[in-house]
This record gives sequence, C-alpha cells and structure tokens, in this order.
Amino acid sequence: MTIQAQMPIPAKPRPKSAAPWKVRGFSKIAVTTVASLLPAAMAITLGIFFDFSPPTILVILFLPLQIVIASIAALMVRGKRGMGDATLTVIVYFALALVTVLLGSVVVSVITWGAKAMSLHFLYQNDVYITPSTSLEYGGIGHAMIGSLVTVALVTVVTVPISIAIAVYLTEGYGRLRGAVRFFTQAMSGLPSVVSGLFIYAAFISIGSNRPAGWLGSAALLLLMLPTVTRMSEEVLKLVPNELRSAALALGAPRRRAFFQVIMPAARTGLVTAVLLGLARIVGETAPLLLTIDFEHRTNANPLSGGMATMTTYIYSYLGAGYDTSRQRSWGAALVLLGLVAILFGIARLFANKKVGSR
Amino acid sequence: MAETPVRIKLANRKPARGDRLFFGISSLSAMISLTLVFLILLFLGQRSLQTFIDQGWAFVTGSTWDATLAEPVFQIFPMLYGSVLVSLIGLVIAVPTSIAVAYFIEYMAARPIARIATLLVDLLAALPSILIGMWGVLVFSPVAASWSKLITVHLGHLSFFENRMDNALRSPFIAGWVVAIMIIPIITSVSREVMSRVDRELIAAAYALGGTAFSVMRRVVIPNSRSGILGGILLGLGRALGETVAIFYVLNLVFKINFFHILEPEGGSIASVIIAKFGEAESFELDALMAAGVVLFVITLIINMIATGIVQRAEKKMAS
Repeated sequence: MTIQAQMPIPAKPRPKSAAPWKVRGFSKIAVTTVASLLPAAMAITLGIFFDFSPPTILVILFLPLQIVIASIAALMVRGKRGMGDATLTVIVYFALALVTVLLGSVVVSVITWGAKAMSLHFLYQNDVYITPSTSLEYGGIGHAMIGSLVTVALVTVVTVPISIAIAVYLTEGYGRLRGAVRFFTQAMSGLPSVVSGLFIYAAFISIGSNRPAGWLGSAALLLLMLPTVTRMSEEVLKLVPNELRSAALALGAPRRRAFFQVIMPAARTGLVTAVLLGLARIVGETAPLLLTIDFEHRTNANPLSGGMATMTTYIYSYLGAGYDTSRQRSWGAALVLLGLVAILFGIARLFANKKVGSR
Repeated sequence: MAETPVRIKLANRKPARGDRLFFGISSLSAMISLTLVFLILLFLGQRSLQTFIDQGWAFVTGSTWDATLAEPVFQIFPMLYGSVLVSLIGLVIAVPTSIAVAYFIEYMAARPIARIATLLVDLLAALPSILIGMWGVLVFSPVAASWSKLITVHLGHLSFFENRMDNALRSPFIAGWVVAIMIIPIITSVSREVMSRVDRELIAAAYALGGTAFSVMRRVVIPNSRSGILGGILLGLGRALGETVAIFYVLNLVFKINFFHILEPEGGSIASVIIAKFGEAESFELDALMAAGVVLFVITLIINMIATGIVQRAEKKMAS
C-alpha cells in the first residue's frame, strides 16, 4: 500500500465574521456607543431648538432617530442582517419603557399617596362622625375592612366547596352532563361583573323582598368567583397522575376515599392556588357591590341586614366626594387593598411553586 | 353441585353507599351551577324582554335615552359603539406593547430579571381595576389631556384628531389608555406563557441556520404562538368591554353618536352607563338597563367562546 502524499490544502483567509465570539474591536464598540448616545442628544437639541414639548420630542424625534441610527450602526457592525435586529431591539425597549413608566406610575402613586394617609387609627377606626372634608386625624377604614372580610369570607365559604365538588364531577365522575356543565361554567366566566350585580339587584332587591345587604353582595360575587375556581380546580385535578388514582382503587379504596386521601392531597397546593386567585379576582370588584350593598359609615359585621362598607366601595364613595381629604382617604384605602392583593398573590405563588404531589 | 366461582363484574357493581353520597353531592353541585346559569339567563331575559319588544331594533341602533317621556325611549347605540371604540383604542395601544414586553421577558432579559418581571406582570394582572381608574382620574388624565392637546395642535387637520371643544379631559382617547393599562398585564401574561412553550430546539435550529433575532421572531416565535396570543388578546378585550368603574371615572358618557372624534370628551360604555343610571332608575328604566346588560353579556359571551376555542385548538396543536 502506498501512502498517499498529503496534498497541502490551500489556506483560505478566514472570513472576518467567522468568529462572532471574538472580542469586538474598538471601532465596533465606538459605533455602538455613538449609536446609543447620538439619538438622545440629537432629539434633545432639535427639540429645544424647535421648542417642542417632552412627549413630542420622545415620540416624533427620539424614537425614529433611534431606530434609524441603530439600524445604521447595526449595518456597519453586522451587515444588512443586523438592521432588523436593531429595529426590534429599539421597539421592544421603547415598549418596555412605556409599560414600566405607566404601570410603575400606578403602583408608585398608590404607595406614595397612600402612605400619606396611613396611620394606625386609619386602619381600625370607622367613619361614623366623618364627612368628606374631615381631616385625616379622625376616622379610618376599619369598618370597610370588616365589610370586605365578611362579604369575601361568606362567598368563599359557599363557593369553594361547590366549586371543588363541580370539579370532581367534571374529572372523577361519569356524569352525562359534563360537557354542558363545563360549557356553562365557561360561559359564566364571561359574565361582566356589573351584570352580575344587576342580576342580584333585580332578582332580590328591586322586587321589594329584600333590602340591600352584605349577603346579596356576596351572592353577586359568587357568580364571579365560582367559574374561576371551578375551572382552575378542574385543571389542577386533571394534572394528578392517573396512576395514583388507579393505585388507590386497586388497593380497594372506595372512590370517595381515593379522592379525599390520595387525589386531593396530591392536588392540594394547586387547589389552594385556585382559591387564592379566585379571591384576588373578587377582592377588587366594585360594581356588583355598589348595586347590592348600601354604603354605611358605621361598623356592621352582620351580612344579613343593614348597609356595609367594603374596601372598594369605600374608595369609590370617597373619591366621588371630591375633597382633598376624601381623596387621601381613597388613596389610603387603595394602598391597603393593593397590599391585600399582593399578599394573596404572594401566598398563591408560594403554594404554586411547590410541585403537585409533593408534601 | 360444585360451586362455580362467582365473577364480579366491576362495571356493574353498584357503588358503595358512601360513594353514592360522594358522587351525589358532586352532581348536585354541578346541577346547582347549571341551574344558576339558567336562572340568570331566564331572569335577565324575562326582565329585559319587554324593553326589547317595546323598543324593537332601535334599542341597539338608536341613540336617545329618555325616561321622562310618556313613552320612554331607551336606545343604547352610542354606549355600545363607545364600548367598542374604547376597547379598540385600548387594544391598539396594548397589543403591540404587550407582545413586545412578553418577547423581552422571554427572550431578551437575563434570567433573574425575567423571573421578577414574570411575577410582577402576573401580580399586575390581578390589580383591582378601581385602583387603575383612580390613578386614571387623579394622576393620568391631566397628563393624557396634554398629550391629546399636542395631537390636536400637530395633527388636528385630520378630522380623526380634531377637537372642537376646549376640554380634552374624559375623552375616549384617555379611557382607551386607561383600559390599555388595565389589559396590558393580562395580554402580556398570556403571551409570555405561550411564547415560553415554543420549542427551544426549534429556535436554536433557526439560529443555527443563520437566523437573526428579528427573523427568528417573525418566522418561528410569532407563527408558533399566534393563536395563543390571539386568545390572550380576546381575553383582554372581554375584560375591556366589561370594565365598569375605571371607565366611569375617566369618560364622559353622552347619548350622542361620536364616531371618530376620539379626543373630544364624548363617549360611551354600556357597563359604565349601568352604574351611572341605576341610582335614580325607575323599574321600567331598570329593565332597560338590564336589557343593555344582556346585550353586553351576549357580546362578551361570544368573544369568550371564540377565545376558548382558539386557545383549545392551540393547545391541541401544541400537544400533538
């Protein structure tokens, strides 16, 4: 056998773009830096020259300039294919800044304005001798917190067992109406909250058989919470592995025991999350409560008779009053409500992060 | 006679008494929910039927609302149109920004930032709408009114951006922004979720074939998550149409058709008009409000079903 002589392969020069991981050269860094600073400088200069207002500068001058200059820079650094990327990056960051500023403004205003109204007595006193122009040294949201607590607790106590039972019907049983139940639960989740309140108002209050009261508010909230919790519980129960179910039944457990001792513990964290997210949905509802509960300045923990204040109707009522002091009261209540939702959400997250089935 | 072994047919065995109770309770609850839905439909239908008969088609096409006449006239077209207009303005603002933010969180942000942003977006999706309405009327409205005036100054010769009144507050434009801020977290949350399910290997393959971030987004990410994002958008639209209190604060409700002057302080919203009118409503006016509620319910119902259908189809496609 002859050993073939190795022919030297003619060395081609490596194309410059063949090593994108290499540290970028000075010129490229310079181009990128210029591209990120120049548009802002140009926009501000032009804006001051033409005496435009800040939003005009931002939208009419800065955004197009930044897109054009970033594209040119990308063209120089990465060639034609970089231009799309540059545009994409600029637009994404612009949208991100917009959303951050707007939503950040919501949260920051609630926190800063709310903090001004905050004091210990604001959290527990009620509003008996308070007019909208009373200074914030007196009165608070104690009665509204109790009202929210009572209505929400009532609706939770009723809704959660029913929702989970419906979810059981949908996942465990062989009922013939499963499709219909699923369909109508879905339809119910599209019920606008104001229509739910209007329904309760028309069915119980306007015909004269009942006075507006806490339990009617709870009834209106039930129509909103039931579909949410049912659907989420169904999803969670579906996630429980079928092997667990079969194993329990194979060991001779009756279906109810299989559910209560195997499936429900396995899906526990998910069920808790479902309930908490359902709560977060109804805690912030205003419209149905406006229609079904009379606003009240005294503390009333009895859901069966008399008016009640809730956190949201408190905000609504004092915001509508139109004084500086009443607005501050609204901000204070808004901060507490925001905190409440955040806490509920935090707990839901904590439970959701545990794996289904782990103890 | 030898005993033959008895074969127990499991399928035919009657369930134990406890099990019957267990399933009985679950079926009962299911029936309760069905009954509830039928009661709602029946009751709303029955109460609003008279209005539909009295007012005829004009109920949804006319634009007068007067309860003081001998024969009261109830027509909701301006409110219906206003609801749609405000929601559309909201969507025009919210959809591109939401998709961009979802893209950022999923593909551009460093991992710790992405995790925090995901949490924040989900939290903000649960933000009570009254807080946004309150912020809208106390903080945002003056700012947005100044934007609106700027647009009128620069683009006022387009009738779209014309403002023939002194006032720029409480216009559909501002209400649209408030609605957009409300639904941005919702659409972002759904879009991010859907984008996170796009096959990472597919994306890596696209990059390996020489794709750029832009082309990968356009050819791989968006086509693969399109239907899920659409579902999220429709979910947001349903929320926007049903929004009551936030819009009530930032929009002037007028029973006059305002087709496209979005910067003028005249608009409408079905959900908000129910809150606005119900306080002093007599029983027949209440019936008319109920009928308006039914119209709103039907619209949100249709949107909801389309959304569910799209999402389910997308999930099936993902699974296969």
